[in-house]
Amino acid sequence: MDMKRSHYEDIRLFSSGVVFAWFVVFLAAMAAFPFAASWMGKNYYIYMANYMAINVIVAVGLNLLVGYAGQISLGHAGFFALGAYGTVLLMTKLQIPFVIALPMAGLVAAGFGFLLGLPALRLEGPYLAVATLGFGLTVTQIIGRWDLFGGRQGLHAPPLALGPVTLAGDFDLYWLIVPIAIIMTMAARNITKTKVGRAFVAIRDSDVAAHTMGVNLTYFKTLAFAVSAFYTGVAGGLYAFALGFIEPQTFNLMLSILFLSMVVVGGLGSIFGSVVGAVLLSVLNLKLASVHNLPLVGPILLQLSETWFTVSGLPNFQYVVYGLIMFLIIVFEPLGIFGFWIRTKIYWKSYPF
Amino acid sequence: MLWQIVIGGIAVGSAYALIALAMVIIYKTSEVLNFAQGDMACLSTYVTFMLLHGYGLPFWASLPLTLLFAFVLGACCEFLFMRRAKDPTVLGLIIMTLSLEMILFGLVSWKWGSDQRELPFPITSYDTFTIGSFFVSRLEVLTFAVALVMMVLLFLFFRFTKTGIAIKATQLNRDAARLMGIRTNRILMGTWGLSSVVGAVAALLIAPASTLDPYMMWDPLLKGFSSAVLGGMTSLPGAAAGGYIVGIVENLFGTYVSIEFKSVVAFAIIVVILCIRPSGLLARHYVKKV
Amino acid sequence: MKKRVLWTIAMGLLIAVCAAGGVTAADTPGIGDTEIRIGQWAALTGPAAAWGAVARGAEAYFKMINDEGGINGRMIKHLVFDDQYNPARTVAGIKELVEGPGVFAFVAGDCTACALAARDYLVEKKIIWMALGNAWSIKPDRHFFFIYPNYLDEASILVKYAVESMGKKKIAFFYQNDDYGKGGLKGAQQQLEKYKMKLAAEVPVEPQDRDLKSHTMALKNAEPDAVILWVNPTSAVIMRKTAAAMKFAPLWMAPSTLADPALMNQITSGLWEGTIFSCLAELPDADIPLMKKYHAAFEKYVPKGERWGIMYLAGFGFAEPLVEALKKVGRDVTTDNVIAELDKMTDFKGIFGHITFRPEDRQGQKEVFIAEALKDGKSKRLSDWIKADR
Repeated sequence: MDMKRSHYEDIRLFSSGVVFAWFVVFLAAMAAFPFAASWMGKNYYIYMANYMAINVIVAVGLNLLVGYAGQISLGHAGFFALGAYGTVLLMTKLQIPFVIALPMAGLVAAGFGFLLGLPALRLEGPYLAVATLGFGLTVTQIIGRWDLFGGRQGLHAPPLALGPVTLAGDFDLYWLIVPIAIIMTMAARNITKTKVGRAFVAIRDSDVAAHTMGVNLTYFKTLAFAVSAFYTGVAGGLYAFALGFIEPQTFNLMLSILFLSMVVVGGLGSIFGSVVGAVLLSVLNLKLASVHNLPLVGPILLQLSETWFTVSGLPNFQYVVYGLIMFLIIVFEPLGIFGFWIRTKIYWKSYPF
Repeated sequence: MLWQIVIGGIAVGSAYALIALAMVIIYKTSEVLNFAQGDMACLSTYVTFMLLHGYGLPFWASLPLTLLFAFVLGACCEFLFMRRAKDPTVLGLIIMTLSLEMILFGLVSWKWGSDQRELPFPITSYDTFTIGSFFVSRLEVLTFAVALVMMVLLFLFFRFTKTGIAIKATQLNRDAARLMGIRTNRILMGTWGLSSVVGAVAALLIAPASTLDPYMMWDPLLKGFSSAVLGGMTSLPGAAAGGYIVGIVENLFGTYVSIEFKSVVAFAIIVVILCIRPSGLLARHYVKKV
Repeated sequence: MKKRVLWTIAMGLLIAVCAAGGVTAADTPGIGDTEIRIGQWAALTGPAAAWGAVARGAEAYFKMINDEGGINGRMIKHLVFDDQYNPARTVAGIKELVEGPGVFAFVAGDCTACALAARDYLVEKKIIWMALGNAWSIKPDRHFFFIYPNYLDEASILVKYAVESMGKKKIAFFYQNDDYGKGGLKGAQQQLEKYKMKLAAEVPVEPQDRDLKSHTMALKNAEPDAVILWVNPTSAVIMRKTAAAMKFAPLWMAPSTLADPALMNQITSGLWEGTIFSCLAELPDADIPLMKKYHAAFEKYVPKGERWGIMYLAGFGFAEPLVEALKKVGRDVTTDNVIAELDKMTDFKGIFGHITFRPEDRQGQKEVFIAEALKDGKSKRLSDWIKADR
């Protein structure tokens, strides 16, 4: 919405000194956060921050595919699983150190993303959604049954050693996960400003027109899938260590839907939006675990349950909440939370007119 | 033994075919993948349970009431949910059906709890006919018969009735249909209602063979997807054929190749078919005009 | 303008909801002057939600205890959260409870995978855990006490009863494809080796499969005279119905997870009659004063419409040993005191079997009894408590 007057201005990382200053403040807050949390005795917040950072990586990667390149993917849980299992298996079976295993697992996921991108060239819209859905489900089912992956017993993550230092516990992992999340988000933002990013946007707006302008659809569509899968794979690898234990039931269709909803709620086509969406939905996901303890609405819901519904089914209310949030966002603000942010900015910029 | 498996595959394929039919009906007119299909059907089945169990109505009274409820539910879903978005993208439509699915699932689980229940169906699932050395249960025969009848009815409906032709017209070109005087809004509501009714019938036939719980339709829904994709998302006979093929292939695979990976077949079919022949077996491939 | 106002209000509510719940309390390790905090996680929603009844049973039990005056002057505060069988949520919830209000001990918690994810954290924070699980799945620790009989033990008892008391020659095993099912499978195989026999067929199944024709055919073709169903209730029901349709009628046997004759009878439309099952707890309609007392508590505290069955029973049973130990320790409740008291527990009998804990052997219950399911959801006890001889 602000006019860019030269190419350099367009690709600058920080569009003004003010934004840079806020970024520095943000970095300082991120750095201070774990110390503040552990001083308060609430290591739980650090765990939540790790979980949110992992979801941010996934949401950013998925946004590159869905928001910028205009494709659809309902199977990102499959890439997530590939990254998690890949990292753990590479470390345990092949004794590859973590620093190499994590990118390698990401590349494996990217390879599968490339494979998924190939049929995507011919499919669009609902067919693409179903293809990715089938892929995600197939990956989960195969992992669940193949003993190489530990089957339903799952796998324990091995000790995380970066050279001489061993990372254990949420506090240590924070310093690994959050910087990776920040770097990858910045990288994604840079991707969007380059030729690749512009090609993605062209494909999204009209792939036939892009093709006639010389954009190589094959290359860029598969690249979009591969990059998105890489992000998700890396996030999956980090998730295996944040949780300490992975098993196939976690990588199900609901997880894919959760990822997609993070992107949509946050805002398609906006890195900032997907960060906010990821944070918001992660918090909701963790907080709605005890609906009856919610401050304002808890007792009302309990009463409602006793008369019309069953009290034992009350925790299912969280599904209703998710569904409503997703629906309301799509209907009232298709650009998601980022759209709301833009509208607020416009309103205040032109205040009082 | 091979024929016993094939018969079993046909039986289970009938259920998949019905679900696929329901999906294709909506896809043909609204071009939207209805992820909420399973839960709409599940809700209707629970309503039947409530009528039979809670109010003590006989089955032959509950059935028409349930189908009526299913129709109204489908129409309301379209009116309240799908129509509210102004000019949604494909992704937006998918998200909307997903959100609808979650809301319905949450409401069903909330209202009836998570205990498994039994649907008092007039035909038990284990009375069988014996043909030679093969067993076919009465419920399976009923499912097969109902699926066939449904297909014939739908074929006749779309071909020979005015509403059916109006539905086809709406699918081909919505604006032209409106200009021709067809009330497309009502047609869309009716289509969703019809699809919901077909889905409810499918769920009513699946529930007696397993337990009635809020997530009983998740697996059949995905298999129904697979069947619709296999047969062609815009082709009703294709959807039905796809259902039978998926049922038979799944059972053959499970018995002869590997019982552990049986469920993977349905999903792998989706991926493979979409790679080789995206429009499905029986549908015509629409070439997009620029 | 109106839309914007609505939006701001919606956002504000959302933020308020998210921010709340993180309310802090005193940093005690779960013991206050007037209360003891006991935590529990359960799958209250999602496909495993039937198991959530264990948490509701435990809640009723603690309310009953509180009505009787608590334990040595302290009331029990029961903190439950829903983990949806998702390890990420289990770990998050456990951390929130431990670092927020503080928890003295955890009781039950039905999802093994979630437990495995949380295990290291519980060890680090030195929290007692009365586990709904056994040492087959979870690595033991000084703070862990396993109550549920080992899957291998239970399977071997079932097999032993089938071979010795009922004279079955060919036994097939239908199991869920996870550590629960595989544990049972191993137990059955080990026991059969003692008789120089093998399983006639071993058929795995995934919990969400609704079509079990291939599985039934595989079992039928092996022509067993007994089939052990080591699965979850839904799969068991579908298998029974499919088998009845195929006129396949061996002797059906089942472990404690399916030991709810009333429910199984109802959802199989009466097919469940004649099943032999092993049970880790007294039957819900048993004529024991303790059972009647718990049933009365259930009627009083659990919302209308719930059914008294083994899940609710289990909620009571898993909490009993901890309450017993807390009563014996007196006012001076510390983690070490309670662990020492639990380690002295010998043949404690609540409504489960006899529970004995020792520092080197935390598998509390090693016995089950055999019962038969009768018409209309009733059941008949066939044997006394049997210990496994492994």
